[in-house]
Amino acid sequence: MTIIEERPERQEHPVERRLAEIVPGPEPHGFVKYATSTDHKQIGVNYMVTSFLFFLFAGALAMVIRTQLIVPNNHVVSLDVYNQIFTIHGTVMIFVFLGPFAFGLANYIVPLQIGAPDMAFPRFNAFSYWLYLGGGLTLVSGFLTSSGAANFGWFGYAPLTEAVHSPGAGADLWIIGVGLTGFSGIFTAINVVTTIFMLRAPGMVMFRMPIFCWNQMVTMFLVLLAFPVLTSALALIYLDRHFHTHFFDPGDGGQPILWQHLFWFFGHPEVYILVLPYFGVVTEVFATMSRKPVFGYKGMVGATLSIGGLSMGVWAHHMYTTGAVLLPFFAALSLLIAVPTGIKFFNWIGTMWRGTLVLNTAMLFCIGFLFTFLLGGLTGVMLAEPPLDFQLHDTYFIVAHLHYVMFGGSAFAVFAGIFYWFPKFTGRMLHEGWGKVFFVLMFVGFNLTFFPQHDLGLRGMQRRIGIYPAHQGWDFLNMLSSIGSYIMGLSIITLLWNFWRTLRKGERAGDNPWDGGTLEWACASPPSHHNFESLPPIRSERPVWDANHPEDLTKVGH
Amino acid sequence: MHQLASRLLATNYGSPPGITSQNKDVRFLWNLTYWFAIPLGLIVMGLVIWCVVRYRRRPGREQIPHQFQYHIPIEAAYTIIPVVIVAVVFGFMYTAEDRIDHVAKNPAAQVKVEGFQWGWRFTYLTVDGRNLSRAEQFQEVGSVANEPSINDDSSLPTLTLPSNVTVQLDLFTDDVNHSFYIPAALFKRDLIQHVTNTVDLNFLKTGHFIGECTQFCGTFHPFMRFNVDIMPPAQFTKWAAAQKPGSVTYAGKPFDSGIPANIFGAGN
Amino acid sequence: MKLEWRVTLGAAFFLLAAFALYWFTSYEDAGSVLLFFGGTAYILLFAFILLQYKRRHGTPRAEDRPDANQSDGAGEVAFFPSNSIWPVSLGIGFVFVAVGLVYGAWYFAIGFILLLGAVIGFNVEADSRTESDSHPEQHSHTE
Repeated sequence: MTIIEERPERQEHPVERRLAEIVPGPEPHGFVKYATSTDHKQIGVNYMVTSFLFFLFAGALAMVIRTQLIVPNNHVVSLDVYNQIFTIHGTVMIFVFLGPFAFGLANYIVPLQIGAPDMAFPRFNAFSYWLYLGGGLTLVSGFLTSSGAANFGWFGYAPLTEAVHSPGAGADLWIIGVGLTGFSGIFTAINVVTTIFMLRAPGMVMFRMPIFCWNQMVTMFLVLLAFPVLTSALALIYLDRHFHTHFFDPGDGGQPILWQHLFWFFGHPEVYILVLPYFGVVTEVFATMSRKPVFGYKGMVGATLSIGGLSMGVWAHHMYTTGAVLLPFFAALSLLIAVPTGIKFFNWIGTMWRGTLVLNTAMLFCIGFLFTFLLGGLTGVMLAEPPLDFQLHDTYFIVAHLHYVMFGGSAFAVFAGIFYWFPKFTGRMLHEGWGKVFFVLMFVGFNLTFFPQHDLGLRGMQRRIGIYPAHQGWDFLNMLSSIGSYIMGLSIITLLWNFWRTLRKGERAGDNPWDGGTLEWACASPPSHHNFESLPPIRSERPVWDANHPEDLTKVGH
Repeated sequence: MHQLASRLLATNYGSPPGITSQNKDVRFLWNLTYWFAIPLGLIVMGLVIWCVVRYRRRPGREQIPHQFQYHIPIEAAYTIIPVVIVAVVFGFMYTAEDRIDHVAKNPAAQVKVEGFQWGWRFTYLTVDGRNLSRAEQFQEVGSVANEPSINDDSSLPTLTLPSNVTVQLDLFTDDVNHSFYIPAALFKRDLIQHVTNTVDLNFLKTGHFIGECTQFCGTFHPFMRFNVDIMPPAQFTKWAAAQKPGSVTYAGKPFDSGIPANIFGAGN
Repeated sequence: MKLEWRVTLGAAFFLLAAFALYWFTSYEDAGSVLLFFGGTAYILLFAFILLQYKRRHGTPRAEDRPDANQSDGAGEVAFFPSNSIWPVSLGIGFVFVAVGLVYGAWYFAIGFILLLGAVIGFNVEADSRTESDSHPEQHSHTE
């Protein structure tokens, strides 16, 4: 933050920051590298590629869902299969795509941004990736069992998850799979927090870390609080199913409502776990593409911390309609979250204000993010008011809201992050023309899919129904929504084509193609083993910018 | 398009106007939220568009901008103003919520609503302010087993209620969680074992409405629908008198009157 | 490290305050217990970091000094292994044991064998590190 007056020159022959190696020898390649590397960059890429493949799988499931709902009383798949499909769609998107993609970004970017040679516990890090992969595969392997995959929705409300109502291995595989990804999340969180606390480069004080690192740190704090609760709740439901305990089984005095408390005590922080890292991503993109420092850096950090704090106290706003929770407490805290989120919005606008905006694909996705997340945020304020939630809960209005937040928010930021950091990951630039085609198709398709769902909810269409009656006035909107989802599917194909052509013959990117300011742009693209040849002196949160633009240093104060 | 526009004009920002006395509060909250949300949303979107158009890089505007980072008065403004808005919304919401959740001591009609996989059972406990004895109570049941098609509303169980008086519903379930939802009444409440849920509704309009289960409850969740018949109190008295004490009707018919089989051949 | 312990203390304080407010307004058990233990967990983290901080007797680390140069961080940063087969072995073993909870004995057996191998492998690897540290001339430092 503070700029010290005398700035030391960048040292040509930096003092050694040595690292101990135990397996000297040639670098492995290909599959051996994938399987054995403990390098944070390789593990980060593993996370991102794996989660993106799971995203494609869950997206294909979403296409089936929309095909089933395109006309009333449709029978593309049976009701039971439909239930399995939306359960796995939701679970994979939440637990196996959005969260782990953010963990992948944390793995790759956080050590680079704070000038660390690697994560704090490299082998532990690799171990958590394998748990994640195993968990994801276990989860979807339910489709291969004779009784099918889990079919009780991604929040698995007891007593529907009890053995009486959901027999079969699919439900158990769901429990085990989610539990494994939960463990992987906890381990990653420990790793990232330790890395941020212990491995920063000299001069990188906490208040010089990029906003992305701050957001990742708060995210990981939330993971540490939330995931153990989920894992223990899953252990309890497993005991209920197999060892005849009665934690959630109402027949013998168990409390089904307890599951909802445990699940949402995890589940609401989880929503912010899925969103805060992506707030960090768009902050980085806005700052770089506006060629300005982040507006209101300290306010941004404060907003992140207060979102993190408040998100721990709002879990029961998912349970307003149970009639068993204290409404004013949760309504007040839920409404309050709008304030730090608003601060972030205005800070992003402030970052663009009087800047020089480079409107490339990454930036376009961030601007699209502002629109869609704004809508998701405003409907969120409505749902935070219990009387309105009584009307809207568990209808398609909720479906629209959560997709505006999770897809229009987080997934748009995933795409922005991919376009922004792809040169760093691979050394090649994604094609801008195809990128813009992708953005336009995605933005149009997304809004066409999910905007009509608000109205469907207001007309009383409940969520999670595989078929619906013809005379309720729902058909036209459902048709629109399905057409929109096909446009989104098409847009993903253009993205895949873009990957393919770029990896084969993409334009070479230099170390710093966007003229970025944070430390990851100081190393090679892709970075060498243990990252940095030399580090510039760190005197603000944009050391690389300061080194490249000595006459345009970050101004302090106002 | 025309359909959508006319709908927006006819309704409360797309939300149905509601049929119970409690819906006045819901309508007010919708209005309140929109009075803040629409201008706020437009301001933010306007600012974004203005920034993008005004400050985009274009030929002749490629310089490195002024590297400023803080503007305390603006930052303070957009921290404090939202806090005030939130406080106002919370204040109004708090009183509205109190009125909606209010439960009367002596309702004019009381019905025990039971959800099960996958159907509804309505037991009438109080009619015209008089508690019925166990022998006098009568029941209406319906489940997926006697719904031939999702499009057939006539095979659904019917919840018959009087208008203009306080109606109390006791919500129960003996299996998984369900949720009692009447879209036109803008209200729902979950049915969860070991959670006692009693809700009061005061219908202002008579007519025929649809109710649904909104909490996912298993394979035939979409079939868990019911009819709601709201009639004037006098007519309701007459209807209740016509029900045989202790009788059980299946979707308005006695049990043995040739109930059509479900197309899926399954159910409870 | 000042900011680190302050952040964790802040988290602990917030959670305990939320616990108190929630408990005395709702008397609901599940959420109160979770908030309380969340708060105490952060007290543990806070205490650990504070202990580390006190051990340094007020000398800030290079990463905590705004005016530190890269040369202030000279020396060996930490121990970073490059490639290892054991994490994947441990991970697959763990997954097999977990799936054994669904499918029973055979998965347990395979999983435990993998886990055992991985644990032994990790230990051998750690031993080789200690040995190479005690013979610095055989040790290869890579940048």
